[in-house]
Amino acid sequence: MTLQRSEVSGVTIKGMVETSFVDWDGNIVATLFLPGCNFRCGFCFNAKLVLEHDTLDDVPISYVHSYLRSNSDFLDGVCITGGEPTLHSLEELCSLVKSTGLKVKLDTNGSSPRVLEELIDSRLVDFVAMDVKAPLREREYSKAAGVPVDLKAISESIELIAGEVEHEFRTTVVRGVHDRQSIREIAGTLERAGARRYVLQKFIPELAMSEELRRVKSMSDAEMDELVEVAAGYLPAKWRGR
Amino acid sequence: MKGEDSTDIALFVKVSAGNVVRWDRRRIAESLMREAGVGAEQAEQIAGRVESIIRESGIEFITGPLIREIVNAELIKLRLEEERKRYTRLGMPVYDVEQLITKQNKENANVPHGPEATNLSLAESIKKQYALLRVFSPEVALAHERGDIHLHDLGFIDRPYCSGNSIEYVKKFGLSLPNALSISKPARHAEVLVLHLIKFSAALQGVFAGAIGWDAVNLFMAPYLTGRSEREIEQVAQMLVFEFAQQAVARGGQSIFSDLNLYWEVPKHFADVEAIGPEGRYTGNTYEDYLEEAQRFARALIRVYMQGDGMGRPFFFPKPQLHITERLFSTEGYREFLYEIARLSSEKGNSYYVFDRGETAKISECCRLAFKLDENDLQDAKTPWKMRYSAMQNVTINLPRIAYEANGSDERLLELLSERMRLAAEAHVAKRRFIVKLLNLGKNGPLGLLCMDKDGEPYYRLHRATFLMGMLGLNELVQYHLGEEMHESSYALRFGLKVIAHMSRECERLGEDYGMRFVLEQTPAESTAYRMAKLDLEHYREHATQVVKGSIERGEVYYTNSTYLNVSAPISPIERVKKEGMFHPMIHAGSLTHIWLGEAKPEPEAIAKFVVRTFRHTTNDQIAFSPEFSSCLDCGRVDRGLW
Ligand code: SF4
Repeated sequence: MTLQRSEVSGVTIKGMVETSFVDWDGNIVATLFLPGCNFRCGFCFNAKLVLEHDTLDDVPISYVHSYLRSNSDFLDGVCITGGEPTLHSLEELCSLVKSTGLKVKLDTNGSSPRVLEELIDSRLVDFVAMDVKAPLREREYSKAAGVPVDLKAISESIELIAGEVEHEFRTTVVRGVHDRQSIREIAGTLERAGARRYVLQKFIPELAMSEELRRVKSMSDAEMDELVEVAAGYLPAKWRGR
Repeated sequence: MKGEDSTDIALFVKVSAGNVVRWDRRRIAESLMREAGVGAEQAEQIAGRVESIIRESGIEFITGPLIREIVNAELIKLRLEEERKRYTRLGMPVYDVEQLITKQNKENANVPHGPEATNLSLAESIKKQYALLRVFSPEVALAHERGDIHLHDLGFIDRPYCSGNSIEYVKKFGLSLPNALSISKPARHAEVLVLHLIKFSAALQGVFAGAIGWDAVNLFMAPYLTGRSEREIEQVAQMLVFEFAQQAVARGGQSIFSDLNLYWEVPKHFADVEAIGPEGRYTGNTYEDYLEEAQRFARALIRVYMQGDGMGRPFFFPKPQLHITERLFSTEGYREFLYEIARLSSEKGNSYYVFDRGETAKISECCRLAFKLDENDLQDAKTPWKMRYSAMQNVTINLPRIAYEANGSDERLLELLSERMRLAAEAHVAKRRFIVKLLNLGKNGPLGLLCMDKDGEPYYRLHRATFLMGMLGLNELVQYHLGEEMHESSYALRFGLKVIAHMSRECERLGEDYGMRFVLEQTPAESTAYRMAKLDLEHYREHATQVVKGSIERGEVYYTNSTYLNVSAPISPIERVKKEGMFHPMIHAGSLTHIWLGEAKPEPEAIAKFVVRTFRHTTNDQIAFSPEFSSCLDCGRVDRGLW
């Protein structure tokens, strides 16, 4: 792919999976990867997109648009993910997707509640999946995210999403970082905010941003089952991953 | 006419019967007359010359095969080529036999290695030589040996290729195979019917080279399942799947290539058909009335597949093939059933989805082969035990080679394609002639089972037989001819479609010329893809190196299967199912698109949606999902976590 200026302002797209069965449960979607992130989670499995996105070629918007148009008979929607998509202005991209008759799912770390609010209010997103990295305590959360995190923004995003839009909250579960207690706390927070769906994701060590975490063993299926049981005490929960 | 000098030599001959006999020159002359049709005088002369060669050598023991080779050398000197061919011996070098007996067959790692399996290989090798020498014309044989075309299953020259069968036959007539020691009357219970079915399949495997398909299994089993509990029905399903799967213990570890065709709905062509039940009697109801039992059985089968074998591994045979007709969508509970079978796709990957749009109905026989039933066949549906179909042979055309020879000319390309197809048609004529000869030997002949006559016609319905024209490497043909692969431009894709349309028209034209049914088929055999690529690297090296796939250094080369798009190119499942599906309406003997799911296990809803949308929005004939695809590193695309 050659480098090309995108025709939608506010966004560059650095990757696309044209048909995905796994990015929006039960739906067939195209997934768009947007560059850059304000977090540095050690377990991030898109490190290149976060740290070295300048080395990646752009996916021309014209290509995305024509693909969506000609395949809207198969697709349910588009998943916009990253990195952290809310660092970009997403209105035009979302409108473009909507113009093809498809739904929009947005993945976010929840650090920009204002951006989320606008997108939700203007009905440009249909589904939001937000990562909750750790129990909402300054030190713990910042440690998991690898940067100081403004917890107020995180709480606001949780409230907003849980109240206003179809959603799921999710936590990538890492041995040594999360345990029954932390999952219990996160699930409790989510329940109080009125959230209706919580997904625990299996951590994939080989792809981890932090070298240290690459040596950590991921949870077994049985351990994931156990943690889901804990979470399910608060709200509907499941786990995914291989 | 015992020559004086013949007694002079104290020579002993080891003959093929395993005995040692005294040298007798007359035996040579006699066999030359009997086997090769050489005249008496010439036969005498040859025998004399052979004798002097042997005498000069001074050996004491000689084997029959060696004498024969010396005689053959004499026949060559006399330019008696036809006679030599008739007189020649078929067999294998000692070294090859030793390798075969002691080492695992690399080319077909699926076949377990063992005495029974090597027996099969040895027999196949000889029958293959026989076929090329005696069944096909030298022109056809050479075209196969050079790799212009590929004659499939030459080692099974004395059997038709594959078959679609009807459980109704077994229900109505029981298990009474010719030459069987005991005969079973029509089954009274579902469990017994299952056993009959398996035994019959095993018997059929002995007279067909390829797949043994069974149509509408859940529907035809249904009259035996009324009033049975959920648990009992599941047990019958278990028996059916396990017994089929475990037939591999027999016949050298070869599985029966079997398919179970399933319907959630009662397909229109069976709805008003009178149902046959226990003891082969009509139940007084039509199949429409057995919807509930048929559905319960289908769900039980899916549960069995879902559990997998004793170790939880998927069953490769029998393959479940779900047929989807328009009626599905008005049949209650279809969504839930689709989810169940979609979950099977996601977890185990072994369900196939066959799309019967509009008025078509199909019976599938192997992973890729599905016969569209035409009007005659649908007439057969009223007497469903008659629904027995077969493709007698499969011949594949090496498409890339045609592009090499056409040297950029469209006209020449299509011309060459027609020539190759005519050659393939000749090959079919020869096979047909040979099989007919065997069938004419009747019930005591080698194909006695196919001659068994229970319903006024032989089991093998010759007049319904089809002859398959396969194709290999359309993608590489287009790539060489236009400089672009089919996924790279719509022009290239259209050109590919044009080539297949030409093949389809040629099938019809040849069909009229020869009075036979030729149909296009997507060649299933991966080994052909390797063989032809290798042969082209040998005979057309400069051309082939530009387009073969795989690695030339490692000697692992192949052409893209049939009309597929490049399997390793980053083509999304949606585009693949649409674009590949554009070829399917022209390929009447069935086609398939594989969808690779990557390592993640999607929610069944997404798969079910994909299936329904493929039915609605494409012309694709059949799809299957493969969960284990892992070469994403090559194409740079993974499901998530792109980098
Ligand atoms: S996991 Fe998400 S939030 Fe964390 S660094 Fe990666 S992209 Fe950013």
